[in-house]
Amino acid sequence: MTDSAPVSDLDLFDDTVLVDPYPSYATLRDLGGVVRLPANDVYALTRYDVIRNALGDWESFSSAGAIGFNPMVNEALTGTSLSSDPPVHTQLRATLTANLSPRALRGLKAGIDAKADALVGELVDRGSFEAIDALARAFPLEVVADLIGFTGHVRDNMLRWGQAAMQVIGPMNRRTAESFPIAGELYGWCSGVTAEDLAPGSVGRGIFEAEARGDIPPDTAGHIIHQYLGAGVDTTIAAIGNVVALFAAHPGQLALVRENPSLVPAALNEVLRYWAPLHAWGRRTTRDVEIDGVVVPAGAQVAILFGAGNRDPRHYENPEAFLVERNPVDHLSFGYGPHGCAGQGLARLEAHAVIEALARRVRRLVVGPEVRVPSNVTRSIEELPVLEVVPV
Amino acid sequence: MKIVLDRPRCEGHGLCEEAAPELMHLDDDGELVLDREEIGDAEVPLASAAVRVCPVAALRLA
Ligand code: HEM
Ligand code: SF4
Repeated sequence: MTDSAPVSDLDLFDDTVLVDPYPSYATLRDLGGVVRLPANDVYALTRYDVIRNALGDWESFSSAGAIGFNPMVNEALTGTSLSSDPPVHTQLRATLTANLSPRALRGLKAGIDAKADALVGELVDRGSFEAIDALARAFPLEVVADLIGFTGHVRDNMLRWGQAAMQVIGPMNRRTAESFPIAGELYGWCSGVTAEDLAPGSVGRGIFEAEARGDIPPDTAGHIIHQYLGAGVDTTIAAIGNVVALFAAHPGQLALVRENPSLVPAALNEVLRYWAPLHAWGRRTTRDVEIDGVVVPAGAQVAILFGAGNRDPRHYENPEAFLVERNPVDHLSFGYGPHGCAGQGLARLEAHAVIEALARRVRRLVVGPEVRVPSNVTRSIEELPVLEVVPV
Repeated sequence: MKIVLDRPRCEGHGLCEEAAPELMHLDDDGELVLDREEIGDAEVPLASAAVRVCPVAALRLA
C-alpha cells in the first residue's frame, strides 16, 4: 500500500525558518521521511536514512538541472560536476578532485596549521575581536586564495562572490535576484581567467598547466576554479564560525578537546552535524520512488534537508545535545556518495587547524549575542563578538 | 564475505582506515590498501563500519 506524501504549508525559504530551521526540521521529520511543501513546490527529505539513501541513489535522484531551486541557476550550472549524473559526472569529478584529494593536499597541512596558529595566537593576544570577520572569514579566504593563486581584486571579491554563488541556489526570491549579478561577476571572471592571472606554483596554475598538457579537456580550467570558489568558500566560513560559537557556548566540550587533542576530528564532525552549513539542496526524481510507503512521483523537485537528517533521533541518540565525543563520522553535512563533497579534505584541514589552535590557546571565550541574517542556502553566523578570551 | 573497493571512486579520505585499521590502511602514497579482503563473520561489523563511513561510497561488502 502506498499513500501520497504528508503535506505541510511551511516555506523552507521564509526568513524565520532560514535563521533557525531546527524547530521546522523537527516538525517536518515528525510528519514523515518525505513531506510535500506546496509553498516551494518540492518534496522535502527529512529523516537520516531517507536522505542518505537518496544521496547514494543517483539513478532515482538525479542532479541534472536539479540542484538549485530556480530554473536560471540550474541552467547556469549545466555541465558542472554538481549538476551532472554518472557517467559524465565521474569524468568531471576526477579532474575536480585531482587537486583536492587528501593525497594532493598532504603537502599543505603544515602551512595551514601554522597559519591558523599564528592567526588564533594574534587574536587571543588582542583579547577581544569579531570572530566572523577576523577568523571565520579571514582564514579560509587566505587559505583558498593562496591555494588557487588569487591576487589583487579577485582576493577582495572572493567573499561576495562565494556568498552570491550559494544564495542563487535558492528559489527566485529577492535574495536570489540581488545575488545573480554578483554570481555573474564570478562566472564572468572565471570564463576569462588565464594562467598568468594566478600566482606561479599555485594549484590554480597547475590546473591550467594540466589543461595545456591535454590532461583535462580544453576550457575546463576556469570551470574548476569556479566550482572551488562557489562551493568551497561560503561553506567553510560557516563551519569555522560555527566552531567558534559552539565552543564559546560549550566550554566543557572545548576542555575535552584540550585534554585530548585526538578528539579534534570528532569535534569537527559534531560541529558539522549540529549545525549543517547547507540548508537545502536539490535533486529530481527520475521515476516514481517509494519512500517509507509514500510515493514521490517521477519528475518531482526534491529538497534535501541535511540539517534535519543530522538531528534525526532515529539515527542519533540525544541529537539536540552538542557532544564532541559522539564523533558522528556519518553526518550528512558533506552529502554522501557520488557527489559527496569534493573539497572535504581541504575543509577538514582548515577546520582541524582552527580547532587545534583554539584548544591549545583558549580556556574560555566570552561572547556577545550572535547576529544571523537570513540566507537561502548557507546557514552561517554574520557577527559574533568575542568580548573576552580566557587563555589557557 | 569479501570487501570490495571501487578503486577509481576512492579519493583517499582514509575514514575507513580509522574505522577498521585491522583491515585496511593508506600507504605512503595515500593509496588505500585492503590488508584483508576475505573476512570472517567476526569481522563483518568492523568491515561494515568502514563501508558506512566512506564519504564517497567507494567500499562495499559482497
Ligand atoms: C565545511 C565546508 C563544506 C561543506 C559543508 C560542503 C558541503 C558540500 C555538500 C553537501 C556537497 C554535495 C552536493 C550534492 O550532493 O549535490 C558538496 C559538494 C562539493 N563541494 Fe563541498 N562543502 C564544503 C567545503 C568545500 C570546499 C572547501 C570545496 C573546494 C575547495 C568544496 C567543493 C565541492 C565541490 C566541487 C562539490 C561538488 C562535487 C560533485 O558534484 O561531485 N566544498 N559540498
Ligand atoms: S574512506 Fe572511502 S575514499 Fe576514503 S580511503 Fe577509504 S575507501 Fe577510499
